[in-house]
Amino acid sequence: MSAASRIRAVFEDAGARGWLHATPLDRPGDTVEIDADVIVPMASVYKLPLLAGFCRLVDDGAIDPREQIRVEPADRTAGPTGLSIMADPVTMSLRDLAVSMMTVSDNAAADVLLDKVGRDRLSHLLRDFGLQQTRVRRGAGDNLQELLRRTGAGDPDAAFAVLADNDRTDPAGVYDAATASASTARDMTQLLRSIWTGEILSAEQTQFVAATMAHQVYRHRLSAGFPYDGVRVAGKTGTFGALRHEVGVVVLPDSSGFAVAVFTLAARGDGRLPRVDAAIGEAARIAVNSLR
Amino acid sequence: MLTERYLQIFVALADEQHFGDAARVVGITQPPLSQGLRRLESLVGAKLFERGTGRVELTPAGAALLPYARRALSSIDEFHHAVMAQGPDGTELRIGLAPEVPASIGAAVAAACGNAMRGSRVTVVSAPTAALIPQLTAGRLALGVVLHPAVLDGLSAGPVTLLPTWALVPERVHPDDEKPVSLRELDGLPVAVRPRAEAPAARDLFLDALALHRPRGGTVAVTDERAGLAMAAAGQAVLVTADPTLEAAGVGRHRLTGDPLPVRLRLVWAPSRTPSGLPPEALPKVIQALGPA
Repeated sequence: MSAASRIRAVFEDAGARGWLHATPLDRPGDTVEIDADVIVPMASVYKLPLLAGFCRLVDDGAIDPREQIRVEPADRTAGPTGLSIMADPVTMSLRDLAVSMMTVSDNAAADVLLDKVGRDRLSHLLRDFGLQQTRVRRGAGDNLQELLRRTGAGDPDAAFAVLADNDRTDPAGVYDAATASASTARDMTQLLRSIWTGEILSAEQTQFVAATMAHQVYRHRLSAGFPYDGVRVAGKTGTFGALRHEVGVVVLPDSSGFAVAVFTLAARGDGRLPRVDAAIGEAARIAVNSLR
Repeated sequence: MLTERYLQIFVALADEQHFGDAARVVGITQPPLSQGLRRLESLVGAKLFERGTGRVELTPAGAALLPYARRALSSIDEFHHAVMAQGPDGTELRIGLAPEVPASIGAAVAAACGNAMRGSRVTVVSAPTAALIPQLTAGRLALGVVLHPAVLDGLSAGPVTLLPTWALVPERVHPDDEKPVSLRELDGLPVAVRPRAEAPAARDLFLDALALHRPRGGTVAVTDERAGLAMAAAGQAVLVTADPTLEAAGVGRHRLTGDPLPVRLRLVWAPSRTPSGLPPEALPKVIQALGPA
């Protein structure tokens, strides 16, 4: 059975729709793909293209990564981690905000960076990176606003409870790629490849992205597929309702590297679905093994 | 060549005696109606109507031919109906039912479709959710009733309908007192569960809820509810079912406190606002048929 059909079976068994693209960093002609050109809402994976745009502006001298930013609690976007859950004003450098955005998916830090980079400037940079299908239309704060509007809920917890309820239909449009920040699995591996091969960023910024993504605390998706200390995974997850994603670079003990993007949409609404998290790692493992 | 459209124009104009009204009846605008009439008259070789100011009257030739035109049109209508009844393709409505759909509800859904489509064929197949969805995607089924949640892969779907379930419990482990029981009290026997691959997401949701409410007792795999009922009758298992009719000697029927294991059903069809082949106004009735009796 081909790698793609084995991966489809993994998604089916986990009760999720899946989209995948995987390619060796040094052999972009070799791929494993499952509907890799379908545009999918990115959830927090948008923080990767945002980071790439930020780092390019640092390279261009347009942004000083050491600039200190004071982030007031009242201005902060809600979220489950990072500055989003802290009570007091925080002053951090832009690059440390980027670290918090990537390692714990800090929504508040991400929206500060998105404001700094600017949506229009980011969309020009993404086109410059050669990403045809990637759009960062909204940050985390706007995503929450849209979710509140569509669910009619009063606060984010109540809105996510609507998505988690298996006894009713999801409100129309909550997983609509057309209005959300969206991308394709192929675009994401292309972005990872062009970062890791040093095509779009300086050596210093390339190193910053790789190191930051290696520090991500979430190990339950891509990393779970490679339970070996000798395999390094640098990734960025995305989670929003039934959407569970991770894109990243897997480096094996022989130093061969693979860019992998896995997007999923679970049938169940539950906030915790460890089978789907594990399926993301399993799908990545099958893809990487077939490309070795 | 004489076409159905020419005959429609002829009959409509004779009935309405007005170009604008006749055009509306046929469902076209006035210029093509006038053009159609001229073509028909040249085909027939005679004038069919006298056009005066604001009046349209049959000529003697028109009056003589009109009954034949009516008969020809009604024969064509009969032909259309016969095509619907034969249903070689597109006019047959194929419905798929997941095996968890209680027999009476499956019948109600099929009946609602049959009532909405008199004269056309409705066929019903039964297959697991995981088998129905690819058939719906491929268009081999027009309508499916599947377990929710399931990966629908772009298919359109109606609201989630919840059916309450009963536990069918051997009397020897719990008295047949018709009283509700909590799942936790039923840990003396395994719960009969159909194969997971039939509907992975829905089955996992069932198993996760079962494990939360009933930490001990386990499960036993059965192929279908008949086997589950037989296992209960043999004193070997508890069957959880949404079917109000299943019964066996020595097996009690109990509501579950809090209804923790409802059967969630959803009407599913190929992407469009309403299922192809089903009149749009029939959809709410079919969805209603899904609900608990």
